[in-house]
Amino acid sequence: MRPLELLLDFLPPDLSPAYLLALAPAVLQTIGLAVGAMFLAFCASLPLGVVAALRLPGARALLAALGALRAIPDLTLAVLFVVLLGLGPGAGLFALALYYAAGVAKMFADILRTAPEAPLRALRTAGASRVQVALFGLLPLKRSDLISYASYEFECALRASVVVGAVGGGGLGSELVGSLAALDFHRAATQILVLVLLAAAFDAGATQVRRDPRWLLALMPVGLFAVIAYAPRMFALGHALEVFGQMWPPEIPATAWAKLPRWIWETVWMAAAGTGGAVAVALVAGPASARNLAPAWIAWPVRRLMELLRAVPEVVWGLVLIAVVGVGPVAGAWALGIHSAGCLARLFGDCLENAPVAPQRALASTGASRMSVFAYGAAPLAAGPMAAHALFRFEWNLRMATVLGVIGAGGVGQALYEAQQLFFYRQMLAYIVLTWLIISAVDRAGELVRRRYTLAPALIGADPV
Amino acid sequence: MKAAGFGRDAASAVLSLRSFGAAPLGVDRVLVDVGDLDLWPGECVALTGPSGSGKTTFLRTLGGQLPPRAGHMRLAGQELAQAATAQQRTLLRRIALVAQQHDLVEPLPVHANVMAGALGRWSNLHALRYLIRPSAEELADAEAALELVGLAGKLREPTGRLSGGEQQRVAIARALVQAPILLLADEPVASLDPRTANAVLGLITRLARERGMGLICSLHQPRLAERYFDRVLELRDGRLEAAAIGDSRSAAPERA
Repeated sequence: MRPLELLLDFLPPDLSPAYLLALAPAVLQTIGLAVGAMFLAFCASLPLGVVAALRLPGARALLAALGALRAIPDLTLAVLFVVLLGLGPGAGLFALALYYAAGVAKMFADILRTAPEAPLRALRTAGASRVQVALFGLLPLKRSDLISYASYEFECALRASVVVGAVGGGGLGSELVGSLAALDFHRAATQILVLVLLAAAFDAGATQVRRDPRWLLALMPVGLFAVIAYAPRMFALGHALEVFGQMWPPEIPATAWAKLPRWIWETVWMAAAGTGGAVAVALVAGPASARNLAPAWIAWPVRRLMELLRAVPEVVWGLVLIAVVGVGPVAGAWALGIHSAGCLARLFGDCLENAPVAPQRALASTGASRMSVFAYGAAPLAAGPMAAHALFRFEWNLRMATVLGVIGAGGVGQALYEAQQLFFYRQMLAYIVLTWLIISAVDRAGELVRRRYTLAPALIGADPV
Repeated sequence: MKAAGFGRDAASAVLSLRSFGAAPLGVDRVLVDVGDLDLWPGECVALTGPSGSGKTTFLRTLGGQLPPRAGHMRLAGQELAQAATAQQRTLLRRIALVAQQHDLVEPLPVHANVMAGALGRWSNLHALRYLIRPSAEELADAEAALELVGLAGKLREPTGRLSGGEQQRVAIARALVQAPILLLADEPVASLDPRTANAVLGLITRLARERGMGLICSLHQPRLAERYFDRVLELRDGRLEAAAIGDSRSAAPERA
């Protein structure tokens, strides 16, 4: 267990007041990135979602475009925006804004489509135009659903804002990359600790927003300020267009074609190994954290440990592990495995806790031991949803594996990052397209498997990412 | 255009139907054969018939939610064609439809649901401004409509918090704000207790007579129909026929 041993080098974190103070600007920038990006994303996605939900002309094409855009990971977009806008928070902010605008708009459209038909029909009969139907019907009817989804995405955006920093998008992520490159592990540990605390604070804030949506209005000026403050100073449209022109047409050189199968294999292997390891851990930690199965003195510490594992995003685990075990897909698999173990243990535990009680009680009444009740009752009852979660996690990890490559874990992502660093823009675009193809194919395959076996799709918000 | 069997009297009728036929979406042939029907200002007509006989389809066709399948329709003496002109659209807005429950937007306050009846006259910008800051005048309009239906003082209540009978009255208030000449009500008392049902029927028939609106209201209870309405028509085997009380329909409707 050499990697785990090396992780001890990170202790203790540097908690000196001077350093914490020095870290403050980076923390503020990360918060600004998240709030600013979400401000732009919500401004764009609400009207787009309404257009798609009302099936206005072009809605079908719009939904297809949003779905396609969503298949390019945030970090991949950040690599592109760093090239177009230059290093700094502006690139991170706009990459995040675009990624979330696409995803949130698609989700908003799906939510709005579940609005009851009768009130909308009544408004149309009263002579309301389509915009008026949206204002007086659609939006108020689905207000609380929209807000709770928005606040969920808000938490995700904070973690993502650290992630885009890793490729030069500013904030805490850029600091972390710097500390790790300088082998300054104690300070890196501080930054990770700050990130975990910040995520917890955002989580609490999101709960507050759900309770009283007016808090969302309070965030608007902060978001607007961040957008203005981080807008690239020297942005020139001509330059950006020229750079974009240099990416055309995308090409993969002859030497790279030979490596392509290996890169794709590395990416898939990373996801499979990480998910497999995580499932193995979660099969033990899940039951151990289920409060109806394990005694409290076991369940409580297991729960806290798993929370810690999933509080740190995959990319941050990746940065840390690449620093200690070196560049390559092994570090990537570990990073995916550690984070996924935390997520899956929680989900498996929930599945076991939520398994129907009546059959288990019937088993217990026959005099069966606790162990047999688990083996013949809770375990088979929870197996279906647990399989659905594991499958969703594998899909998610394939997506994340392309992202981890960008920070040095091998595969397609690494090829993309190296092309960017060497200014081979045409290759860079080719690898972005390849990433998009892989993720779109995985999404489609996952959908087919779920439909074939009628596994319930993982609910948005129920699945910690 | 050919007179299509509209008599001299039809000019003063609120609604005149000739050889009129309706059908649900996706059905090509006429399922509800209405034939000829004239409705006079202030006249209250009850529409009865078993479930599935086509009452809702007929009312939704008159309300413009479904396209008519056969015949002609005149509103206040004006022929309504399939492709409505701007002037006809203005006229169509003066048909109001009160459905069974659940067609209000529950998260909005009562006044917004009431003033939704004015949306046909408002621009999109006006509608947005109202949601942010309703003017005192508009709120007074909403309050006046609520007073008519006996809900004064409920202006700012969240609509979802009202009882079923109260919500039905809000829907009626919304229809009144539309300033209709023809009021359609689709089983407005189906899910109400007998006392509330009596109050609601009494209310809409009184308002129709006071304001000279034509009223067509579908019902399940023949006794209520006879008590409150001038005429009772029944949909039986896909045809509209007189059920009781003097029927002024022409005996031999022309077929198209």
